[in-house]
Amino acid sequence: MDAAERALLDASVQTAVADAVARDVPVDPVLARLGWPAMLSDEPEAAVAAVFGALGRTGARSGALDDLCAHALGFAPRPDLAVVLPAFGGWAPPGTVTAGTVRVAGLGTARAATATDLLVATDAGPVVVPVGAGTVTPIGGVDPAGGFHAVRAEWPGVTPTPDDGRAWAAAVALGQRAVGHEVAGAARTVVDQARDHARTRIQFGRPIAAFQAVRHHLADAFVAVEGLEAALDAAAVAGTPVTAALAKAAAGRAARSVVDHCRQVLGGIGFTTDHPFHRHWTRLLVLEGLLGTPEALLTDLGRGWIAAGGVPTLVDL
Amino acid sequence: MDLARYRAALRAWLDADADADTVADTGAAPTAADDLNRRVVRTRRILGRLWAADLGRWGWPERAGGLGGSPLLRAELGATLVARDLADPGVLAMIEVLAPTVIEAAPADRAAEWVPRLCSGAEVWCQGFSEPATGSDLAALTCRATPVGGDPATASAFVVRGQKVWTSLAQYADRCVLLARTGPPEARHRAITAFLVDMDDPGITVAPIEMVNGAREFAEVFFDDVVVPADRVLGARDGGWDLAMRILPYERSTCFWHRIAYLEQRCTRLAAAAPADDRAALALGEAVGAVHTLRARSRATLHRLAAGETLGPETSVDKLLVAAAELATFDAARALLPGTVELADDPVAAVWRREYLYSRAVTVYGGTAEIQRNIVARRLLDLGPEG
Ligand SMILES: Cc1cc2nc3c(=O)[nH]c(=O)nc-3n(C[C@H](O)[C@H](O)[C@H](O)COP(=O)(O)OP(=O)(O)OC[C@H]3O[C@@H](n4cnc5c(N)ncnc54)[C@H](O)[C@@H]3O)c2cc1C
Repeated sequence: MDAAERALLDASVQTAVADAVARDVPVDPVLARLGWPAMLSDEPEAAVAAVFGALGRTGARSGALDDLCAHALGFAPRPDLAVVLPAFGGWAPPGTVTAGTVRVAGLGTARAATATDLLVATDAGPVVVPVGAGTVTPIGGVDPAGGFHAVRAEWPGVTPTPDDGRAWAAAVALGQRAVGHEVAGAARTVVDQARDHARTRIQFGRPIAAFQAVRHHLADAFVAVEGLEAALDAAAVAGTPVTAALAKAAAGRAARSVVDHCRQVLGGIGFTTDHPFHRHWTRLLVLEGLLGTPEALLTDLGRGWIAAGGVPTLVDL
Repeated sequence: MDLARYRAALRAWLDADADADTVADTGAAPTAADDLNRRVVRTRRILGRLWAADLGRWGWPERAGGLGGSPLLRAELGATLVARDLADPGVLAMIEVLAPTVIEAAPADRAAEWVPRLCSGAEVWCQGFSEPATGSDLAALTCRATPVGGDPATASAFVVRGQKVWTSLAQYADRCVLLARTGPPEARHRAITAFLVDMDDPGITVAPIEMVNGAREFAEVFFDDVVVPADRVLGARDGGWDLAMRILPYERSTCFWHRIAYLEQRCTRLAAAAPADDRAALALGEAVGAVHTLRARSRATLHRLAAGETLGPETSVDKLLVAAAELATFDAARALLPGTVELADDPVAAVWRREYLYSRAVTVYGGTAEIQRNIVARRLLDLGPEG
């Protein structure tokens, strides 16, 4: 897919998702009509960037991450299949298998509310169990609109599809990049909101965009998003777990920086539910930790480099 | 020549090179001055050998004495040399900035004569822009170039009088790309002309300045009625500002790729020296993360350059990411090697100290971080005028 085709895909997904959000209808059927998740097989990079970028920009809730992880784990995505995500902040497989019994404690997306089956990655490989094997509890938390769930289950008599952990590593890497794109989309929206506010809010007889302190907040936020998008592109080019983890770490850092700078520019209105900023702010608090907080990811990577006594080249010219 | 083939040829040449001079010397020089001298000498020597072997000529246009090919080849060359400790990124940066200036603005025959001398390390050049009263506000510069006979359009020579400051490598330099005023101060950027001046011209005095880290990397340069022939004007008369602005983005492409190689090399040294604990792991991870984001951005910028796109204000983002990465790298050095920068006197510590102190200049030289943010706000975020 060339740049023009990608731009077209981005725009059509963005329009369709924004429209679904405006009409308050579920997003996943809309995505399905656009060819998601089938396009994961043909154009994974473009599909992930377009779909998760649009989810981030609009703040829509979706089960696209479930589809993505199922696909990476070698299972056909379907609307009634939810993937159990790792507990907040980490990326270890959420399940364990002891004597044929799987135990899982993790997170679910909005998909978990309507799914009939759970796909659980375990230390012994992935298994599918019925939703009835456990409890799926909606989480309010800081972002009740996000549709996150706490998932717990225990189910005997399972035979995991044996694997060496590589499928899970691939699912995590793809998931980290997807969440990274979602963060980038949300961050772009937040920068746009703060910029619009700066240009229209008048204080001391002029738009606050005239004040250098305000301009520098916005510039720093903009640079953070640009850096994140570059890191996401590099992860797509390199296709390695390390660059995906670094992109996710960059996403966490960018989320914090963008929210802090832009909230300051918005002033009092940024603390209200009258202004849409708060929806993205609270969503970003969650996305920052999903599939790894920056601290946990960077500590883990740093440990590896110290053990190896050096840092390899991660993406070539 | 494609990049993969060039990379392989370059590495093979360096691996096989038996010249002791080109073998990496990671031992620390006893003083900061020796250290700088050595880095300059080493850089010139390897550039000379690579130019003679043709590997140094790729990525420069054929009309300027090069072998043509993408600028990616130059980016790869410098990064490989820096990663192997064979060249200094600061010395290379001067070449990456000034050679394109001459290629862009000098008559073709002069460019073909000058560029090979600069790129082969036969000559060192410097950039005389900043003045004591003129840093960020470059358009206010006062160093004067008075046309002999009074008419700038027909003058056969200019007489330069004034002072430059913070001129990196001036004491090593054979030539200087100089910005001087060729009209009234009120005309600001419309009356500035660029010249290529020989540093051994009568009337030029260079007074090196000691930096906080002990090195004398930059200097004051005094111009006392220096006669510069009119054929040394670069670009149009009174067109120096345009030239400087057109060239500016090129300060933020290939040479950043070289700087990234330097920062990654230092991160690797840190990984080798760090204790195996989580605090150290996070500090290293933060640094590598910041450098990686920069690498990702710079990679995209270089590919745009190679595709023939004109670089512009968006490279201010690259500059701000360089600043973040360099600060993070040397913050990690302080965190991982407690007391090394502050209170150790062994030769390895001396290098960390010098480099830590120098790293703090990254938000100042080449346009301060505030000026970059101003550009981002005005040109990329379209926030209208300030104030
Ligand atoms: C290591 C090093 C090497 C250098 N090498 C060279 C060289 O080779 N050739 C050369 O010509 N110059 C060189 N310089 C000079 C460098 O380009 C200047 O230092 C730089 O442009 C800043 O100018 P200044 O030092 O006069 O600071 P000033 O411009 O006086 O700035 C002081 C402070 O005020 C801030 N400020 C100024 N204007 C604004 C504004 N409009 N908005 C917000 N904040 C503002 C700045 O950001 C800065 O924080 C070098 C400098 C260093 C440190």
